[in-house]
Amino acid sequence: MIKTRTWVILFAAAAVLLGALSWYLLSRRTEGAVAQVIQDGVVIREIDLSRVSREYSFVVESPDGGSNTVLVQPGRICISEADCPDKICVHQGWLTDESLPIVCLPHRLIIAIKDPASGTDAVGR
Amino acid sequence: MNAKHIARLALLTTVALILFTVEAQLPPLVPIPGVKLGLANIVTVYAMFRYGPRDTLLVLLARVFLGSVFAGAMMAFFFSLCGGLLCWLVMIPLRRILTEQQLWVCGVIGAVAHNVGQILVCLAVYQTAAVLVYLPALMLSGIVTGLFTGLAATFLLKWLKNRI
Repeated sequence: MIKTRTWVILFAAAAVLLGALSWYLLSRRTEGAVAQVIQDGVVIREIDLSRVSREYSFVVESPDGGSNTVLVQPGRICISEADCPDKICVHQGWLTDESLPIVCLPHRLIIAIKDPASGTDAVGR
Repeated sequence: MNAKHIARLALLTTVALILFTVEAQLPPLVPIPGVKLGLANIVTVYAMFRYGPRDTLLVLLARVFLGSVFAGAMMAFFFSLCGGLLCWLVMIPLRRILTEQQLWVCGVIGAVAHNVGQILVCLAVYQTAAVLVYLPALMLSGIVTGLFTGLAATFLLKWLKNRI
Protein backbone atom coordinates (compact mmCIF):
# COMPACT_ATOMS: atom_id res chain seq x y z
CA MET A 1 0.00 0.00 0.00
CA ILE A 2 1.20 3.47 -0.89
CA LYS A 3 0.93 5.95 1.95
CA THR A 4 -1.67 8.68 1.73
CA ARG A 5 1.05 11.26 2.27
CA THR A 6 2.86 10.02 -0.83
CA TRP A 7 -0.28 10.50 -2.91
CA VAL A 8 -0.84 13.99 -1.54
CA ILE A 9 2.73 15.03 -2.31
CA LEU A 10 2.51 13.46 -5.76
CA PHE A 11 -0.69 15.29 -6.65
CA ALA A 12 0.47 18.58 -5.18
CA ALA A 13 3.68 18.42 -7.20
CA ALA A 14 1.76 17.50 -10.35
CA ALA A 15 -0.70 20.34 -9.75
CA VAL A 16 2.06 22.93 -9.37
CA LEU A 17 3.85 21.64 -12.45
CA LEU A 18 0.71 21.55 -14.58
CA GLY A 19 -0.39 24.94 -13.30
CA ALA A 20 2.90 26.52 -14.36
CA LEU A 21 2.83 24.73 -17.70
CA SER A 22 -0.74 25.68 -18.55
CA TRP A 23 -0.20 29.26 -17.46
CA TYR A 24 2.79 29.41 -19.76
CA LEU A 25 0.98 27.79 -22.68
CA LEU A 26 -2.25 29.74 -22.36
CA SER A 27 -0.60 33.12 -21.87
CA ARG A 28 1.64 32.49 -24.88
CA ARG A 29 -1.45 31.82 -26.96
CA THR A 30 -2.67 35.42 -26.71
CA GLU A 31 0.47 36.50 -28.58
CA GLY A 32 -1.51 35.47 -31.61
CA ALA A 33 -3.60 38.65 -31.38
CA VAL A 34 -2.29 40.59 -34.35
CA ALA A 35 -4.02 43.75 -35.53
CA GLN A 36 -4.13 44.36 -39.25
CA VAL A 37 -4.56 47.79 -40.74
CA ILE A 38 -6.22 47.28 -44.10
CA GLN A 39 -6.57 50.07 -46.61
CA ASP A 40 -8.54 49.50 -49.78
CA GLY A 41 -8.31 45.76 -49.25
CA VAL A 42 -4.52 45.77 -48.81
CA VAL A 43 -2.85 45.02 -45.49
CA ILE A 44 -0.59 48.00 -44.97
CA ARG A 45 0.46 47.30 -41.41
CA GLU A 46 0.45 44.42 -38.92
CA ILE A 47 0.84 45.02 -35.21
CA ASP A 48 1.32 42.29 -32.62
CA LEU A 49 -0.66 43.86 -29.78
CA SER A 50 0.86 41.64 -27.11
CA ARG A 51 4.31 43.01 -27.88
CA VAL A 52 3.33 46.65 -27.61
CA SER A 53 4.99 47.96 -24.47
CA ARG A 54 3.98 51.61 -24.58
CA GLU A 55 1.41 53.74 -26.33
CA TYR A 56 2.08 55.17 -29.78
CA SER A 57 0.08 56.45 -32.72
CA PHE A 58 0.47 56.83 -36.46
CA VAL A 59 -1.46 58.50 -39.25
CA VAL A 60 -2.89 56.64 -42.19
CA GLU A 61 -3.43 58.84 -45.23
CA SER A 62 -5.99 57.74 -47.75
CA PRO A 63 -5.44 58.33 -51.51
CA ASP A 64 -8.24 60.94 -51.67
CA GLY A 65 -6.68 63.13 -49.01
CA GLY A 66 -8.41 61.95 -45.84
CA SER A 67 -6.50 60.82 -42.78
CA ASN A 68 -7.07 58.63 -39.73
CA THR A 69 -4.93 58.61 -36.61
CA VAL A 70 -4.50 55.12 -35.20
CA LEU A 71 -3.68 54.82 -31.51
CA VAL A 72 -1.98 51.67 -30.24
CA GLN A 73 -1.73 50.60 -26.61
CA PRO A 74 -0.63 47.29 -25.10
CA GLY A 75 -3.28 44.77 -26.11
CA ARG A 76 -5.64 47.20 -27.84
CA ILE A 77 -6.00 49.52 -30.78
CA CYS A 78 -8.37 52.30 -31.87
CA ILE A 79 -8.80 55.18 -34.25
CA SER A 80 -8.40 58.31 -32.15
CA GLU A 81 -8.91 60.96 -34.79
CA ALA A 82 -10.32 61.12 -38.29
CA ASP A 83 -11.37 63.80 -40.73
CA CYS A 84 -14.20 61.78 -42.19
CA PRO A 85 -17.69 63.34 -41.89
CA ASP A 86 -19.37 60.78 -39.60
CA LYS A 87 -16.48 59.68 -37.29
CA ILE A 88 -18.05 56.26 -36.84
CA CYS A 89 -14.58 54.71 -36.71
CA VAL A 90 -13.58 56.97 -33.80
CA HIS A 91 -16.77 56.26 -31.93
CA GLN A 92 -16.26 52.54 -32.25
CA GLY A 93 -13.58 52.82 -29.57
CA TRP A 94 -11.05 50.20 -28.58
CA LEU A 95 -10.60 46.92 -30.36
CA THR A 96 -9.14 44.10 -28.27
CA ASP A 97 -10.28 40.85 -29.85
CA GLU A 98 -11.23 39.33 -33.15
CA SER A 99 -14.87 40.43 -32.85
CA LEU A 100 -16.22 43.45 -34.72
CA PRO A 101 -13.46 45.22 -36.71
CA ILE A 102 -13.15 49.00 -36.80
CA VAL A 103 -14.26 50.32 -40.17
CA CYS A 104 -13.88 53.75 -41.69
CA LEU A 105 -15.97 53.48 -44.80
CA PRO A 106 -15.22 56.91 -46.34
CA HIS A 107 -11.46 56.26 -46.22
CA ARG A 108 -11.81 52.54 -47.00
CA LEU A 109 -9.88 51.67 -43.86
CA ILE A 110 -10.39 48.54 -41.75
CA ILE A 111 -8.66 47.56 -38.54
CA ALA A 112 -9.21 43.94 -37.62
CA ILE A 113 -7.58 41.49 -35.23
CA LYS A 114 -6.80 38.06 -36.49
CA ASP A 115 -6.30 35.25 -34.04
CA PRO A 116 -4.77 32.10 -35.47
CA ALA A 117 -6.16 29.99 -32.63
CA SER A 118 -9.72 31.23 -33.01
CA GLY A 119 -10.52 28.65 -35.68
CA THR A 120 -10.01 25.70 -33.35
CA ASP A 121 -11.61 27.55 -30.45
CA ALA A 122 -14.90 28.11 -32.17
CA VAL A 123 -15.18 24.43 -33.09
CA GLY A 124 -13.65 23.20 -29.85
CA ARG A 125 -16.50 24.57 -27.89
CA MET B 1 -27.11 -11.01 -11.67
CA ASN B 2 -30.24 -11.05 -9.55
CA ALA B 3 -33.07 -8.55 -9.59
CA LYS B 4 -31.88 -6.78 -6.47
CA HIS B 5 -28.47 -6.17 -7.98
CA ILE B 6 -29.94 -4.92 -11.24
CA ALA B 7 -32.07 -2.50 -9.25
CA ARG B 8 -29.02 -1.29 -7.33
CA LEU B 9 -27.07 -0.65 -10.54
CA ALA B 10 -30.09 1.05 -12.11
CA LEU B 11 -30.31 3.30 -9.07
CA LEU B 12 -26.63 4.19 -9.41
CA THR B 13 -27.11 4.91 -13.11
CA THR B 14 -30.03 7.17 -12.29
CA VAL B 15 -28.03 9.11 -9.73
CA ALA B 16 -25.13 9.49 -12.16
CA LEU B 17 -27.50 10.60 -14.91
CA ILE B 18 -29.18 13.20 -12.71
CA LEU B 19 -25.80 14.59 -11.62
CA PHE B 20 -24.65 14.62 -15.23
CA THR B 21 -27.77 16.37 -16.54
CA VAL B 22 -27.99 18.94 -13.76
CA GLU B 23 -24.32 19.75 -14.14
CA ALA B 24 -24.76 20.33 -17.86
CA GLN B 25 -27.13 23.19 -16.99
CA LEU B 26 -24.55 25.01 -14.88
CA PRO B 27 -22.60 27.81 -16.54
CA PRO B 28 -18.95 26.98 -17.29
CA LEU B 29 -16.59 27.74 -14.40
CA VAL B 30 -13.58 28.79 -16.48
CA PRO B 31 -13.39 29.74 -20.16
CA ILE B 32 -11.52 26.58 -21.16
CA PRO B 33 -13.51 24.02 -23.15
CA GLY B 34 -13.82 20.70 -21.35
CA VAL B 35 -13.35 21.95 -17.80
CA LYS B 36 -16.21 20.88 -15.55
CA LEU B 37 -16.83 19.39 -12.16
CA GLY B 38 -17.59 15.90 -13.41
CA LEU B 39 -19.98 15.06 -10.58
CA ALA B 40 -20.94 11.77 -12.23
CA ASN B 41 -17.40 10.67 -11.43
CA ILE B 42 -18.53 10.24 -7.82
CA VAL B 43 -20.74 7.39 -8.92
CA THR B 44 -18.04 5.80 -11.07
CA VAL B 45 -15.51 5.81 -8.24
CA TYR B 46 -18.05 4.52 -5.76
CA ALA B 47 -19.26 1.76 -8.07
CA MET B 48 -15.71 0.71 -8.87
CA PHE B 49 -14.93 0.04 -5.23
CA ARG B 50 -18.27 -1.27 -4.19
CA TYR B 51 -19.21 -3.46 -7.15
CA GLY B 52 -16.09 -3.91 -9.28
CA PRO B 53 -15.05 -3.11 -12.86
CA ARG B 54 -17.73 -5.05 -14.73
CA ASP B 55 -20.72 -3.44 -13.03
CA THR B 56 -19.04 -0.04 -13.18
CA LEU B 57 -18.66 -0.37 -16.92
CA LEU B 58 -22.37 -1.11 -17.25
CA VAL B 59 -23.31 1.94 -15.18
CA LEU B 60 -20.81 4.09 -17.03
CA LEU B 61 -21.95 3.09 -20.51
CA ALA B 62 -25.62 3.50 -19.64
CA ARG B 63 -24.97 6.91 -18.13
CA VAL B 64 -22.86 8.16 -21.04
CA PHE B 65 -25.40 6.98 -23.59
CA LEU B 66 -28.47 8.29 -21.79
CA GLY B 67 -26.63 11.46 -20.80
CA SER B 68 -25.97 12.44 -24.39
CA VAL B 69 -29.53 11.52 -25.33
CA PHE B 70 -30.86 13.92 -22.70
CA ALA B 71 -28.29 16.69 -22.71
CA GLY B 72 -26.02 16.75 -25.69
CA ALA B 73 -25.13 16.21 -29.26
CA MET B 74 -23.50 13.21 -30.87
CA MET B 75 -20.10 14.83 -30.53
CA ALA B 76 -20.47 15.08 -26.77
CA PHE B 77 -21.23 11.38 -26.72
CA PHE B 78 -17.84 10.45 -28.17
CA PHE B 79 -16.03 12.82 -25.84
CA SER B 80 -17.80 11.38 -22.81
CA LEU B 81 -17.38 7.82 -23.98
CA CYS B 82 -13.66 8.02 -24.64
CA GLY B 83 -13.00 9.97 -21.45
CA GLY B 84 -15.16 7.59 -19.44
CA LEU B 85 -13.52 4.46 -20.80
CA LEU B 86 -10.01 5.71 -20.14
CA CYS B 87 -11.07 6.73 -16.66
CA TRP B 88 -12.49 3.25 -16.12
CA LEU B 89 -9.33 1.55 -17.41
CA VAL B 90 -6.95 3.35 -15.05
CA MET B 91 -9.23 2.74 -12.10
CA ILE B 92 -9.05 -1.04 -12.43
CA PRO B 93 -5.45 -1.43 -11.18
CA LEU B 94 -5.97 1.33 -8.61
CA ARG B 95 -8.71 -0.69 -7.04
CA ARG B 96 -6.17 -3.24 -5.86
CA ILE B 97 -3.55 -0.91 -4.40
CA LEU B 98 -5.77 1.59 -2.59
CA THR B 99 -7.34 1.30 0.82
CA GLU B 100 -10.86 2.53 1.40
CA GLN B 101 -9.60 5.73 3.01
CA GLN B 102 -7.55 6.41 -0.13
CA LEU B 103 -10.52 6.10 -2.44
CA TRP B 104 -10.22 9.77 -3.39
CA VAL B 105 -6.94 9.00 -5.20
CA CYS B 106 -9.04 7.02 -7.64
CA GLY B 107 -11.20 10.09 -8.23
CA VAL B 108 -8.18 12.28 -8.99
CA ILE B 109 -6.47 9.86 -11.36
CA GLY B 110 -9.79 8.95 -12.97
CA ALA B 111 -10.66 12.59 -13.62
CA VAL B 112 -7.24 13.29 -15.10
CA ALA B 113 -7.57 10.20 -17.31
CA HIS B 114 -11.04 11.34 -18.36
CA ASN B 115 -9.71 14.71 -19.49
CA VAL B 116 -6.77 13.10 -21.28
CA GLY B 117 -9.24 10.85 -23.09
CA GLN B 118 -11.22 13.88 -24.19
CA ILE B 119 -8.12 15.55 -25.57
CA LEU B 120 -7.31 12.36 -27.47
CA VAL B 121 -10.73 12.43 -29.14
CA CYS B 122 -10.21 16.11 -29.85
CA LEU B 123 -6.86 15.31 -31.49
CA ALA B 124 -8.43 12.59 -33.60
CA VAL B 125 -11.37 14.74 -34.66
CA TYR B 126 -9.68 18.05 -35.40
CA GLN B 127 -6.33 16.61 -36.56
CA THR B 128 -4.38 19.45 -35.05
CA ALA B 129 -1.82 19.60 -32.26
CA ALA B 130 -3.20 23.00 -31.26
CA VAL B 131 -5.60 21.30 -28.85
CA LEU B 132 -2.63 20.03 -26.82
CA VAL B 133 -2.27 23.56 -25.47
CA TYR B 134 -5.26 22.74 -23.27
CA LEU B 135 -3.81 19.46 -21.97
CA PRO B 136 -1.98 20.76 -18.86
CA ALA B 137 -4.91 22.99 -17.93
CA LEU B 138 -7.35 20.12 -18.31
CA MET B 139 -5.14 17.77 -16.30
CA LEU B 140 -4.86 20.37 -13.57
CA SER B 141 -8.61 20.79 -13.51
CA GLY B 142 -8.84 16.99 -13.33
CA ILE B 143 -6.73 16.98 -10.18
CA VAL B 144 -8.86 19.65 -8.52
CA THR B 145 -12.28 18.33 -9.51
CA GLY B 146 -11.15 14.72 -9.03
CA LEU B 147 -10.14 15.54 -5.49
CA PHE B 148 -13.61 16.88 -4.85
CA THR B 149 -15.51 14.01 -6.46
CA GLY B 150 -13.08 11.44 -5.05
CA LEU B 151 -13.56 12.71 -1.51
CA ALA B 152 -17.31 12.74 -2.05
CA ALA B 153 -17.11 9.10 -3.12
CA THR B 154 -14.97 8.25 -0.10
CA PHE B 155 -17.58 9.65 2.25
CA LEU B 156 -20.34 8.02 0.25
CA LEU B 157 -18.72 4.59 0.55
CA LYS B 158 -18.20 4.98 4.26
CA TRP B 159 -21.76 6.22 4.77
CA LEU B 160 -23.52 3.65 2.61
CA LYS B 161 -21.43 0.70 3.64
CA ASN B 162 -24.01 -1.13 5.69
CA ARG B 163 -27.10 0.53 4.29
CA ILE B 164 -27.64 -0.76 0.79
